[in-house]
Amino acid sequence: MDIEQKQAEHIDYFVKQASNLKGSSLRNLVVEATSHPSLFAFSEIISVPNVLELEGTENAAFLDLLRMFAHGTWSEYKSVASRLPPLVPDQVLKLKQLTVLTLAETNKVLPYDVLIQELDVKNVRELEDFLINDCMYVGIVRGKLDQLRRCFEVQFAAGRDLRPGQLGSMIQTISDWLSTSDNLLVSIQEKIRWADNMSEMDKKHRKGVEERVEEVKKTLSFKKLQTVSRPTPSSEGMKRSFPNMV
Amino acid sequence: MEKKMLKPFPSIFRQITEAAKGLGLEENMASSSSSGLTFKLHPLFIVNISDHYTRIKSQSLPPPSTPHAASASNGATSDSSSPPQQPPPRVFGCVIGVQRGRTVEIFNSFELLYDPCTHSLDRAFLEKKQELYKKVFPNFYILGWYSTGSDAQESDMQIHRDLMDINESPLYVLLNPSINPAQKDLPVTIYESELHVIDGIPQLIFVQSSYTIETVEAERISIDHVAHLKPSDGGSAATQLAAHLTGIHSAIKMLNSRIRVLHHYLLAMQKGDIPCENSLLREVSSLLRRLPAIESEKFQDDFLMEYNDTLLISYLAMFTNCSSTMNELVDKFNTAYDRHSRRGGRSAFI
Repeated sequence: MDIEQKQAEHIDYFVKQASNLKGSSLRNLVVEATSHPSLFAFSEIISVPNVLELEGTENAAFLDLLRMFAHGTWSEYKSVASRLPPLVPDQVLKLKQLTVLTLAETNKVLPYDVLIQELDVKNVRELEDFLINDCMYVGIVRGKLDQLRRCFEVQFAAGRDLRPGQLGSMIQTISDWLSTSDNLLVSIQEKIRWADNMSEMDKKHRKGVEERVEEVKKTLSFKKLQTVSRPTPSSEGMKRSFPNMV
Repeated sequence: MEKKMLKPFPSIFRQITEAAKGLGLEENMASSSSSGLTFKLHPLFIVNISDHYTRIKSQSLPPPSTPHAASASNGATSDSSSPPQQPPPRVFGCVIGVQRGRTVEIFNSFELLYDPCTHSLDRAFLEKKQELYKKVFPNFYILGWYSTGSDAQESDMQIHRDLMDINESPLYVLLNPSINPAQKDLPVTIYESELHVIDGIPQLIFVQSSYTIETVEAERISIDHVAHLKPSDGGSAATQLAAHLTGIHSAIKMLNSRIRVLHHYLLAMQKGDIPCENSLLREVSSLLRRLPAIESEKFQDDFLMEYNDTLLISYLAMFTNCSSTMNELVDKFNTAYDRHSRRGGRSAFI
């Protein structure tokens, strides 16, 4: 989708840069990457070997920062802010955007209160401004703002980087989806068969009734020839055939 | 009576739908023209011709005061053998469109009056119409003319020659109005004129050309819609339901197969056969987040309400049916048994 396409060149650029630099010079790169307005995916950068080397060195904090941007939210950051380097406003903005994406992962309807709390904004107005300008116009989320019920209905949210365990749950979701649609297909086929059967039965019933009518008509005409007296309603066939005869 | 008259109409629609769905159904004619032009037809103009023919045919029927003649002329095919039936009238008209290079695209058409005495078309009207169309569609030119019938005839060549001063090589489109349920393709043939030397005399003859159907989205939607209104074999409600369900079934099946592909891909990625591609995984996760697609309370409310309404209406209809049948039964019973109680009041059943 378009977000991924837009990001693709930035990702390539940063990955190339990261493979060329080493050590402390990666600090600047990390800061640049995390404040870039169109970049929301960091797992490629994290998997560059030069970046992974930072683990355990004095720049480990930056690696953690990168990981935080890949998987974490704003409130998580606040709880470990002491260990991580301070953020410039661009980075703060980006982390908040990513928080919205994470929230959209679990619920489709996000109440304003939760959003206000998670994003550290003061009122609904600021929240809506943030959502509209920084999330919808950028294109990472699409949805409807419902002011009366004070919630944000998400219709589409861009994907964040995957945690290691998420792949398994995604596979599970897909297999569930597949089994549901298979069941649906089977039940649709059954309905089609049912409709055909019903029409068959109806046709047979109609034919049967018409045959009986013909029979009774014939017997009646014989009876007329034989007797002139009034017709007796004793025969079962006559009674049942009256609705259709006249 | 009118329903039978309109029979060419829906069948044309269905054929056009089938052709347009394929978007590029090639008609392989027996003899192909050598001019190398590719023809693209729009459904609108085919429907115009069909409509024109149907209108003229229904207008030229004898009035209903002669029911025998009317019912005799209701034969499904054009040339029925009953005496009062005249051969179906041929309609004529002009075809307009765009010619870009070697591609000729026919968009629209309009009707023309044919003068059987002089065997020519009404020129003044044609020119006036051409002017009007030019104002609205400046790109469209007169590309040729159309007629109905089963085969091209000699007199057509005359008309063709007449039109040659408007367009040096006009097209002749022929629509065959007889309904052939076995025939799957459109009964439309396009003829071009070519100069062939026959017995030492250069003569213009008609040669067939192949064409494709091209639709604008709006045309496709409208034709699809009309084609589905009347089922092809006049089937009962059950076949309509079955057709509708089959459509849904195939759509879901396509979705199913695509999801299955995704599933295999993810499994392979998990096992490690394929290197992880993060951007794809991100897209998949965003896709999965759209599920469940419809679960909100509001949907449930609306859905259940509509469901209940439908059930109620069908129950009501069934009720009405039953009560009217019951009424008839009682009437018949009364009529049948009334003779027994001629004296002393009526002892009707109810």
